Amino acid sequence: MTSRKTSENAILLSPMVAFLLAILGFPVVLSLVYGFSETTFQTLTSPSFSGLENFRDVMNDAAFWKAAWFSLKFGVITATLQCVLGLAIAVYLAPLVRQHGWTVAILIIPMIVAPAMMGLMYRLVLHEFAGPIPHYFYSWLGWSPSFLGPANVFSTVVVAETLQWTPFAFLLFLTAYNQIPTEMKEAAAVDGTRPWRRFLKIEFPLMVPTVFVALFIRFIDGFRVFDNIYTLVGAGPGGATTSMSIYIYETFLRRGEIGKAMAAAILLFLAAFLLLTLAQRLVGRRAS
Amino acid sequence: MKRSAKLLAMTAMASLLAGHAHAEVTVLGWPGGPEEAALRAVTEIYNAKADVAPENKVELLFTSRDGFFDKLQIDLAAGTKAFDVNLIATYSIGKYAPFMEPITLSGEAETVFGGTVLKTMQYEGAQYGVPTDLSLHFLYVRSDLIDALLADEAAKARYSEIAEKHLGEKLEPKNPQDWTWKDFVANALYFSKSVNPDSPTRYGTVIQAKNLLFNMMVFHSWPRSYGANWMDDQGNITVDSEAYRTALKMAKMLFELGATPQDSTSYEYAEANAAYSSGQVAAMVQWNAAASDLKGAQSATVSFAPPAGPDGRFTHIHGLGLGLNKASDNTEGARAFLSWLSTEEAALAYARAGGAPGLAGATAGKLADERPDLVQVGDYASNYGFVMNGGTSQNALSVYEAQAKEFTGYWAGTQDLDAAMTNITASMTELLK
Repeated sequence: MTSRKTSENAILLSPMVAFLLAILGFPVVLSLVYGFSETTFQTLTSPSFSGLENFRDVMNDAAFWKAAWFSLKFGVITATLQCVLGLAIAVYLAPLVRQHGWTVAILIIPMIVAPAMMGLMYRLVLHEFAGPIPHYFYSWLGWSPSFLGPANVFSTVVVAETLQWTPFAFLLFLTAYNQIPTEMKEAAAVDGTRPWRRFLKIEFPLMVPTVFVALFIRFIDGFRVFDNIYTLVGAGPGGATTSMSIYIYETFLRRGEIGKAMAAAILLFLAAFLLLTLAQRLVGRRAS
Repeated sequence: MKRSAKLLAMTAMASLLAGHAHAEVTVLGWPGGPEEAALRAVTEIYNAKADVAPENKVELLFTSRDGFFDKLQIDLAAGTKAFDVNLIATYSIGKYAPFMEPITLSGEAETVFGGTVLKTMQYEGAQYGVPTDLSLHFLYVRSDLIDALLADEAAKARYSEIAEKHLGEKLEPKNPQDWTWKDFVANALYFSKSVNPDSPTRYGTVIQAKNLLFNMMVFHSWPRSYGANWMDDQGNITVDSEAYRTALKMAKMLFELGATPQDSTSYEYAEANAAYSSGQVAAMVQWNAAASDLKGAQSATVSFAPPAGPDGRFTHIHGLGLGLNKASDNTEGARAFLSWLSTEEAALAYARAGGAPGLAGATAGKLADERPDLVQVGDYASNYGFVMNGGTSQNALSVYEAQAKEFTGYWAGTQDLDAAMTNITASMTELLK
C-alpha cells in the first residue's frame, strides 16, 4: 500500500519536477558552463573552457567591488530604514487597523507598483523642469535641491526604495504584533507598565524573530536591486549607482563579456546563499 | 461530431501549412516615432507593386525601444528566423555583422545617398545595410536672447567680463553660426543665473550627461573639433589627448559653475529637451530629431551646425538602416526588398512619410519645399560629418559605454581627469585591440 502510494506521489510530482528542471535547472547549468568558459555572443553555442579565469577577472575588477560595496551599503541602509519605519507604523496603527481592516489596502499600495514603474515615476516627479517637487521648491523657496545630482542621488534612491518597500515590513510586523496574546498585554497594563516599557520589554522581544526575517528579506531585495535604480538614473555617473545586478547586466549585454557576467552572478548567488544560511541559523537559535 | 472535429483539425493544419508556404519577408523595424510611420508607408508601396511575388511581400514587426539592441543581439546570436531583415545602427554593425550577410544596393544608391552616408552602413568594406535615417547634431539657440544680447552694449560688456574671468579671453558675443566652443561656453556662462544673476534664463545650456552611450555621441563633436580621434592610422589608442582633455575640462567648467542643471548627470534625450523647452535654457547641442519639438516649444529657436574648434567644425553622424539576417529563410525576397529600398523612389517616399534619410544634393533638392530640414541634414552630413577611427568596429558600442562611464564620472566629480584618462585608455586598448 505504502509503495503504491510512493509511486503515485512520484508520478504526480514528475510534471512539476520536469517543469522546474526545464525552467530553473537549465539556466543554472548554462550559467555554470558559461561561468567557467570564455563566451561571447559569437560563441554562445561553442564556449571554450577557461577554468577560473572569469572568476579571477571579476575579483580583479575594481568596478565589481565598487558595485558590491554599493549593494551592501544600499541593502543595509534600506533594510534598516524599512524595518524601523515598518515596525513603528505597525505598532502605532495596530488599533486603527484592527477597527478598519481596509486601511491595510491603502498602506500597501506602493508595494503593488512595479519597481521599474516606480523608477520612471520618480524620474518625472523629480525632474527640475517637469517635476512637481522641484517646481514647488522653486515656487516657495526660489531654490531646489538637485535630487538626482551626484551629491544627492544615493539618498534619493534610498528614499525611493524605502518608500516603496516599507509596507512589506509593515505587513510582517502587523501580523507578528497581532499574534501577541492580548492577555499578556492586558496583564502588563493592569500591573501599571507604561506603553513604551511594555513595548520594549514584552512586545518587541516576542517580535524579534520576525524582525530578523524582515531585515533579511529586505536586505536581500536591496542587495540585488535593479529595476527602480536602472530606470531612474541608470548606472550613475562614473558607475556611482551601479549595484551588483546592474554590474552583471551591463557586463553581459553591454560589454558582451558573458563568462565574466555569469561568474559575477555565481558569486552573487553564493554570497546570498551564505547569508541565507547564517540568517536561518540565527533565527533558529533565537527560536529554540 | 467526431467527423466534424477531424475536419476542423484538418482545416487548421492546412491553413498553418499554407501560411508557412506563403513565406513573407519579415522586417524588424525601429519601433515608435517617425521611423515606424515611414517604414509602414514604403512597405505599402512595395507590397502594392505588381512585380513583387506574393511570397516576397513585406510584413513588419515592431517590439519596443527599451533594450531593443540588447534583445536584437540575443535574437541574432540565437539564429532567430523570426525576421529576415533587421534594424542596424552605425555603431553596432561590427557587433551584428557575424550574424548578418552583406547586401547589394541598387545602382542608384550612390547618387541617392552619397558616399559618406553609405559608409555609415559599412563594415570592413562590405555594405551591411540600406541607410534609412541619419542622425547628427545641431546647435539649438534662442535667437531672441542672442538678439537682445547683441543689441545691448552693457550686456555685451558684462559678457566679455565673464568670458575673461572664466576663459581668460575677453570674448565678444557673436551670431551662433560663427561660434567656436569657447563662444558656446561664454554664452552658457552669461545666460546662467549662478554666474550672471541678471540672466533671463536659469541655465546657459543643458548637457545630457547620464552614463549612457548616446550621450557620448552628442559630446563627441566637441573634442573632434580640437582634433580628437579614438585611434591613429597605426591603430594606437589616442584618447588620452589634449583634444579630449580640453573638451572635457571645458564641459566640466559648465557643471562646476552651474551653467547646466546639477542633475543633468541623470539626463538623457527627453530630460534635456524638457529643460530646453521650459524656457530656462539658452542653448544646447542636441540630435537633429529634436528640431521640431524644440522649435515648437520655443518658437525663437534656430539651429546650426555645432560650434567650431581649432580643427574645424564637426558633427557626429549616426545612421539607422536595415540589413539582412544571415539565418533568414527568405534571403532572396529580403535582398529584393533591400535593393528596392535603396532606390530614389523608396528614399523619397520614406522622407515624405516622416523618415530622415541622409540624401545627397540632387535627391534632397527634390524635397526642398516639403522637408527643408533634410536639406540641412544632408548639407551638414557631407560638410561636417565624421565617424571616429574604429567607430564601426565590433566593440564600438562598448567603447561609447566605457567613455560614458569614465567621462560622466569626471564631470560628476567621482574621479579626476587623469584617472578617467587612464581608465578609458585601458578599456579602449582592450576593446579595440
